[in-house]
Amino acid sequence: MRDASPSLECVLSDAGCLLKPGGRWCINHLEQVDRLLTAASVSYDRSVRIDASDLVALDSAGVMLLVNRLRAKGVVWPSVDLVAFSEAQLTLIHLIADRLDARAPPRKRGVALLPLIGRNAARLTRLLIEQFAFFGRIAEAAADAARHPNLLRLRECTTQLEIVGLNALPIVMLMTFLIGVVFAFLLGIQVQKFGANIFIVDGVSLAVTRELSPMLTAILIAGRSGAAFTAQIGAMKVTEEIDAITTLGLSPVQVLVLPRVLAIIIAMPLLTFIGDVMGVLGAALVANAQLDITYYTFFERLKSVLPVNTVLFGLSKTPIFAAAIALIACRNGFAVSRDARSVGDFTTSTVVQSLVAVILIDAFFAMAFPEII
Amino acid sequence: MRDTDAGAAEPVLQVERLHTHLAGQWLHRGVDFSIGRGEVVALIGGSGTGKSVLLRECIGLNRPSEGRVRLFGDDICDLSRSHLSRVRSRYGVLFQEGALFSSLTVAENVAAPLVEHTDLPPKLRDEVVNMKIRLVGLPISAADKRPSELSGGMKKRAALARALALEPELLFLDEPTSGLDPISAREFDHLLRVLCDSLGLTALMATHDLDTLWGMVDRVIVLHGGKVIANGPVAAVAKLEHDWIRDYFSAHSGQRGREEFEDGI
Repeated sequence: MRDASPSLECVLSDAGCLLKPGGRWCINHLEQVDRLLTAASVSYDRSVRIDASDLVALDSAGVMLLVNRLRAKGVVWPSVDLVAFSEAQLTLIHLIADRLDARAPPRKRGVALLPLIGRNAARLTRLLIEQFAFFGRIAEAAADAARHPNLLRLRECTTQLEIVGLNALPIVMLMTFLIGVVFAFLLGIQVQKFGANIFIVDGVSLAVTRELSPMLTAILIAGRSGAAFTAQIGAMKVTEEIDAITTLGLSPVQVLVLPRVLAIIIAMPLLTFIGDVMGVLGAALVANAQLDITYYTFFERLKSVLPVNTVLFGLSKTPIFAAAIALIACRNGFAVSRDARSVGDFTTSTVVQSLVAVILIDAFFAMAFPEII
Repeated sequence: MRDTDAGAAEPVLQVERLHTHLAGQWLHRGVDFSIGRGEVVALIGGSGTGKSVLLRECIGLNRPSEGRVRLFGDDICDLSRSHLSRVRSRYGVLFQEGALFSSLTVAENVAAPLVEHTDLPPKLRDEVVNMKIRLVGLPISAADKRPSELSGGMKKRAALARALALEPELLFLDEPTSGLDPISAREFDHLLRVLCDSLGLTALMATHDLDTLWGMVDRVIVLHGGKVIANGPVAAVAKLEHDWIRDYFSAHSGQRGREEFEDGI
């Protein structure tokens, strides 16, 4: 490709103003062209003539600059005399001069602080109302399914149960086991100072069954299944599959949401129980190695210090966590609009919202039932 | 870029003995054609004959199993990374659904190739972006919208503005009028033809739209059974005695476009 820098020759005479552009007036040389044109002295009261005989190449960006810069100097376009341009170049010049008649509007300004706060407050209120409305729709679907059990999609329920429960089992087991190990190790250092080694069993078993295992499982499920629910339903929304379900006379809530809600509500207590067991096992391992408490002593002590009510209390929170996660995840899935970006946005907010919800619910339980140790 | 002197004799795009093996079968079995500078060529063929795959191979997104694709004289499969990037800035692609980046506004979409391939100052770049948006016939108010807020026709126009951002010499279009109503489709055809003529573009489009064929295309290439079975002006191809071609030209509702065409002769 020939590389000829752009040039501009400008001749002022009594007859008018002659511009002789030369070289390549193309997008790669646009800055030079801009400088040349801005520096050119063209007076608008004389007729302007442009001679293209030295021009090597001209593209639409070059034409745009020619049109815009001459206009800025007061030249009226149709009256310009164009010489030695090719047919295609003339068409291009006329097309662009014609299309560029309107000035670009100024760019939008940022939003002031006060309206921003107001808008966000309104958005949050709307979000909360929508969340309740969605809860109502799920309750309605559940009531329908209770009256007509054949409405319930058992196959979908079991599939979801497998994905949410069984497939999450290894990671839940690993995490709670490790937390049991870490917690017992740190607590062991403390109780050793007081020569109260055996009390490690009390501390670990209460902490794991009452708080750590339910919370950890809920956090894992929120990140794992909650995000997946939003992404799946959101992707179906983008590809109009949800609309297709509706047109088939089915309720998307019945088909998509209810199995997921049921699956997660069933899976969460089971996972949490496994988590309890694994956490205590991890602690027993550390107690044995670090504090010389035999497994027999550990579990004998466990029997007397861990009331079954505490375990049940820990487990009883989890269906509520599960319901909150499923509700938020599915609602966000339906809120996805028709582009790829919003799937990501809503998946993120599912994880954030469900973590906040889990911690709030947990705090509520701690306040409401302080008598259960 | 509009060179009239450089490489006028050499075809812009050359496909030579191209074979494609895909999903256990031969999709293309020796496809040959070439496209000269300034031509607007349509690629037609039934569903599943590999029009889109062929287009993707021409762009360098897929690799043919055998044969070559020469863009501006260079074999696209043999190019180094930097050379390929240079070649890529010389052609634009209009994908079927537009493929606009959904997280960016229309103006940012059009600016994206300019940011990557040129070092224009932001002010000048905005001016170019603005011009491209106007050039494809979008109102300037569309510049700050996101693709999800646009209608199908406007999306195609915005995607065309992005494809044209770097002043390409060659334009690939995958079903440019699919999903548009007949009026928008004809408007889009007209816009494409005007732009091809005034910008001196060479264009290769895969299409199903008979009105497009009769209305704005210089030449038609028919892909059937993995080979090019016809290659020539629309009127000549439509007269060929071949089962598929006869069915194709009679099954469509392109009667109106054809009558207009014949009235014009």
